[in-house]
Amino acid sequence: MQKFMLIIREDLAELKRNGDAERYRRMRVMTAWAESLQESVNFLGGEPLEIPRRLVTKDQVISDGPFIEAKEGISGFILINAENLEQAAAIAQGCPLVQQNLMAIEVSAVLSRNNPSGDGHA
Amino acid sequence: MDTLETEVDRLYRSQFGKMLSSLMRFSDEIDLEIAEDIVQDAFSAALVVWRKDGLPVNPAGWLFKVSRNRALNKIREAKKFGRKSGAQGGDEDGVGEGAGEGEGNRGWDWPGEGSGGWGWPGDGNGGGDGPGGRNSGGIEDEQLILLFACAHPDLAPKVQVVVSLKYVVNLKVEAIAKILGLTIDGVDKMLLRARQKIRDERILFKAPSTAALQSRLASVHKILYLIFNEGYKSSWGKELIREELCEEALIMTRALSRSKAGNEETRALYALMLFNGARIKARFGKEGELLDLEEQDRSLWDQDLIRLAMVNLESANGAGGDDYGAGGSLNVTEGSLNGAGVNANGAGINSYYIEAAIAGLHCAAESWKATDWEAIIKLYKRLLRLQANPFVELNYAIALYYGTYKSEALEILHGLERQALMSQYYLLYASLGRIYAAEGNKGLAKEYFGRTLQLTSSPDEIAFVQRLINKVE
Repeated sequence: MQKFMLIIREDLAELKRNGDAERYRRMRVMTAWAESLQESVNFLGGEPLEIPRRLVTKDQVISDGPFIEAKEGISGFILINAENLEQAAAIAQGCPLVQQNLMAIEVSAVLSRNNPSGDGHA
Repeated sequence: MDTLETEVDRLYRSQFGKMLSSLMRFSDEIDLEIAEDIVQDAFSAALVVWRKDGLPVNPAGWLFKVSRNRALNKIREAKKFGRKSGAQGGDEDGVGEGAGEGEGNRGWDWPGEGSGGWGWPGDGNGGGDGPGGRNSGGIEDEQLILLFACAHPDLAPKVQVVVSLKYVVNLKVEAIAKILGLTIDGVDKMLLRARQKIRDERILFKAPSTAALQSRLASVHKILYLIFNEGYKSSWGKELIREELCEEALIMTRALSRSKAGNEETRALYALMLFNGARIKARFGKEGELLDLEEQDRSLWDQDLIRLAMVNLESANGAGGDDYGAGGSLNVTEGSLNGAGVNANGAGINSYYIEAAIAGLHCAAESWKATDWEAIIKLYKRLLRLQANPFVELNYAIALYYGTYKSEALEILHGLERQALMSQYYLLYASLGRIYAAEGNKGLAKEYFGRTLQLTSSPDEIAFVQRLINKVE
């Protein structure tokens, strides 16, 4: 078993336009999904993120940054356990909102000392 | 359904998976998809031929023979047309006597007719080792070997469950979809992808090595656990198919725990299922309404199953600790559960033991009031160490409340309420509602029950919460 981060990507501009009701509806779907992941002993935790953000570089702080315009901004994260990258991806693919094409999920193993190369093989 | 159809259906349930795995181990050239087609064909042929000629003496043997002959045809065809195996079936009504014997023989160790070496049905021996002495790492049960094959590490646990329900429990796609709340199309897609995976890797259905069995044991446990849970889930009410699912999971877990491939974790899982299974009859009231632990008539709990569970739990504890005393009382001491089997990554590997111990404490209590909450709290603490997530925290907090650590309990629950993800979880509010109802705070109780209702759409759950609300008033 290895720890994986699922980085959730949604259209932030759309999320903002749709307002709270839709955001909470999506959150409920994610909660139910997290519950099913917990049942299979895969769920470790996770949170959605607020939409306003700042991009910080050496010389400046940009309000909302370029992300808000991007189709796939980071809207939250989930931590899970999985056997390998393949399984973690298969689990993420089972997310109902991914199935409905409302979000994309980036899946990556959390780098650990047991697996310093990070090549994804347990 | 007439008697013939019923019989064919029964055979399907009991033989489908066995026929598949036998066919696939018969030859490398038969993969899961082809085997499935062949076996389906054999069943269709059976309906036609048996209706005409009557039921054969050994129906299962007939099915095996027909599918084997079709497999041989398939292989010969593939030879004829080069490596590509045609999708077309062979002869139409299939029985093609003598198609197999002695031909195309490349040293496959087909058993002699009726010799029973491959665990042919009707030979009274459910699958001893074949004449070739196939190495199956210590398991003889065809169904179990198949289960290990379904525990492919690249498949999501949910997909592993779907594949197992299809090929090990022999459920049809429609039934699987219904049980798991999926669409038929969704199940088909999962099976399609799983089959591709299985074909690409070609590791399935060869007799698995001991090392493969060990590395997959945790996944197999998870599959069995999930199958049992699907059957046990309260939100589904009292449907027969669900109890059957629990039974299937129990039977397979027992078989696994008795085989060489099973370990202490298997016995812990078995104990957990038995403890929960013991209460199955008490979970619903006269009107079919869901009853919680507090309301259940404990005289309906199956004491034989509880005793059996106790024995298994005891033997599952190889840590050297004496968490579980012979006298039927659980003595949970700090640190005594941290022994064998606990995975370094804390990925919930030995959580079955802890869950079983918790279930055992509930079963051992003569009444709700007599529940040993102190011990349960300790077990939840340990579970949290293995499997820290907000859902376990919620259960821990509930145990804390009944163990009269009220302020600690409420602190955790209100903390969970502030987490966005958990703030959408109906059970969090149901728990808060019950706690405030017990505290006599009708206003807050109703408010939390109201939130619960906003967050669930299942009719059974709504009825359950409605009953709680009525109690408050």
